[in-house]
Amino acid sequence: MFESELVSKVIDQLQREGFRVLTEVSNMGQSVDVVATRGKWVTFVEVKTRNWSRAIEQCQGHQQIADFICIAIASVSVPVRLVEAATLNGYGLLHYRRDQNDVVWIVRPRRNTEVWPPQRKYWATATRKVAYAN
Amino acid sequence: MPINHWMMFGTFAEQRHFVYPSPETYRSGGAIINGNMAAYAPDGLAAFLLEKTGGLQYIIDPLTHAFQHTPNSVTDKNGQPKKSILRLAEAYGEPCASIVGDRPLLPGDLRDDDVLANFTKKCLAFQKTILSEAMASSDVIKYVGADLATLRPYALVAPYFYMTETTYKQWLPVAVRSIRLAQNERNGMKLFASVVISQGAMLSESASEAIVVALQAEDVSGFLVWIDELDEQEAGLTKLNALLSLTRSLRAGDKEVINLHGGYFSILAAGRLGNQAMSGVCHGPEFGECRSVVPVGGGIPMARYYMPLLHRRVRYPDALRILQRKGWLSSAAVFHANVCDCDECRETINGNIANFVEFGRGNIKEKRHPSGGLVRIEYPTGETKKKCLQHYLQRKNLEYRFADTASEHQILADLKRGRDELIDVAGLDGVAHLNDWMEALGAVDQ
Repeated sequence: MFESELVSKVIDQLQREGFRVLTEVSNMGQSVDVVATRGKWVTFVEVKTRNWSRAIEQCQGHQQIADFICIAIASVSVPVRLVEAATLNGYGLLHYRRDQNDVVWIVRPRRNTEVWPPQRKYWATATRKVAYAN
Repeated sequence: MPINHWMMFGTFAEQRHFVYPSPETYRSGGAIINGNMAAYAPDGLAAFLLEKTGGLQYIIDPLTHAFQHTPNSVTDKNGQPKKSILRLAEAYGEPCASIVGDRPLLPGDLRDDDVLANFTKKCLAFQKTILSEAMASSDVIKYVGADLATLRPYALVAPYFYMTETTYKQWLPVAVRSIRLAQNERNGMKLFASVVISQGAMLSESASEAIVVALQAEDVSGFLVWIDELDEQEAGLTKLNALLSLTRSLRAGDKEVINLHGGYFSILAAGRLGNQAMSGVCHGPEFGECRSVVPVGGGIPMARYYMPLLHRRVRYPDALRILQRKGWLSSAAVFHANVCDCDECRETINGNIANFVEFGRGNIKEKRHPSGGLVRIEYPTGETKKKCLQHYLQRKNLEYRFADTASEHQILADLKRGRDELIDVAGLDGVAHLNDWMEALGAVDQ
């Protein structure tokens, strides 16, 4: 499965749950695969079809911005170590099930308490500018 | 003796940094100027030295190793030699002029004494004249009143070649012969030799010893040292010890040793704690603390904040995470007390800690991903780069002075504070270099 296909599946799921969704959003030199907003809350989702340990690293870079941070995977089974790492860090975990063709929550994210408001404000302003330009 | 503070001249856009934080910052050292840059823009560099810096000392790195690599490291997209390298080849004459961009220079090309003598003569003449004559002929000189002799470089550098563990046996004899031939051309000026070697050559006892013994025996005033891609923050104890051993051996007889690409470890090594294992340390305005001998491409630029306690540049998001977790972004006063109170940080923060975002501001541009989709990438703004750089230069200036004047106890306390305060947020990988530095410099932690 291509990452872009998984991104589409994740977007569909999040929209069903009432989120507004943006893709490939810049954040301090990185690009966040999916940004979902609902009310005042911002959720970042890193989508990975392989190398989920890299996603954990990327998620660390989002902790000063996002209220909720998630990883989406599409492997046949869900690696136990990933579940443990996600739980430990408070990250959410979404899994695309091929046989069911759906995306389900394996771990719900905990609210991140490390958001630094000035950086969040700067990010939100820059993101809005790009959204308007598009 | 103060630690000589040298800075590598990179681009003309960076020339204002040579008088920052003050025009006195680099008086103990000066500017290292790449030969190809001098060949390409002598008038601009003459103006830089005379007008922008008020007569800063300089050394021209003759960059003779550039001709020994595969041609694609000195050619442009069309396969033609880069103009600046071509000018350098023309200045040096044969064999460089006829092989540049076509094939690498080989030891056999310099086997003939006449060929090497001519090459060495031209290489030194180039260093003596290219900028001094440009300065002498500039309109400004009448106000400065300097004569040609005082406009010449701080030292001449004999032609040199990059040596690895597997090639030093071929290149070392050529380097030694070129140093001897350079004696005839120095005209009373200081003559430096260069030790530009791979990490393998530095770590190999036989290679390292052969190089030191051969070069130390020559009548030179000093050495320029450049270890390929040696990153002091990642190097580990073995490499740090090998670097110290190399430079201390070269220092015998009180010869000058300038590390062309060194960080805080080298600065400490050059100071009291390292018992002057080097006489000077050079860095670039930004990327110069570690550099590959064969140039490599850059990648996506990112804002980096120099973390004073870690003595390393850290990607802005990582710096933000570390500072936020430590609680040091709670107010301007807390930030200045715990992180940095340099002029640049004070001016940028300006009493409001929210302004720390200025060190990470960027412009978002859309780029086509190899997979076909669009990716939005944030590039640091010019103002952000300037702020990060000026903060870095402020800290560097402080580091040189601190290593020079602080007691061993104070230096160790600073290193230990970095390690102990930040290990919980930066992890062991993020602070382990501080331990290695202490151990390599013989300051075992209590």
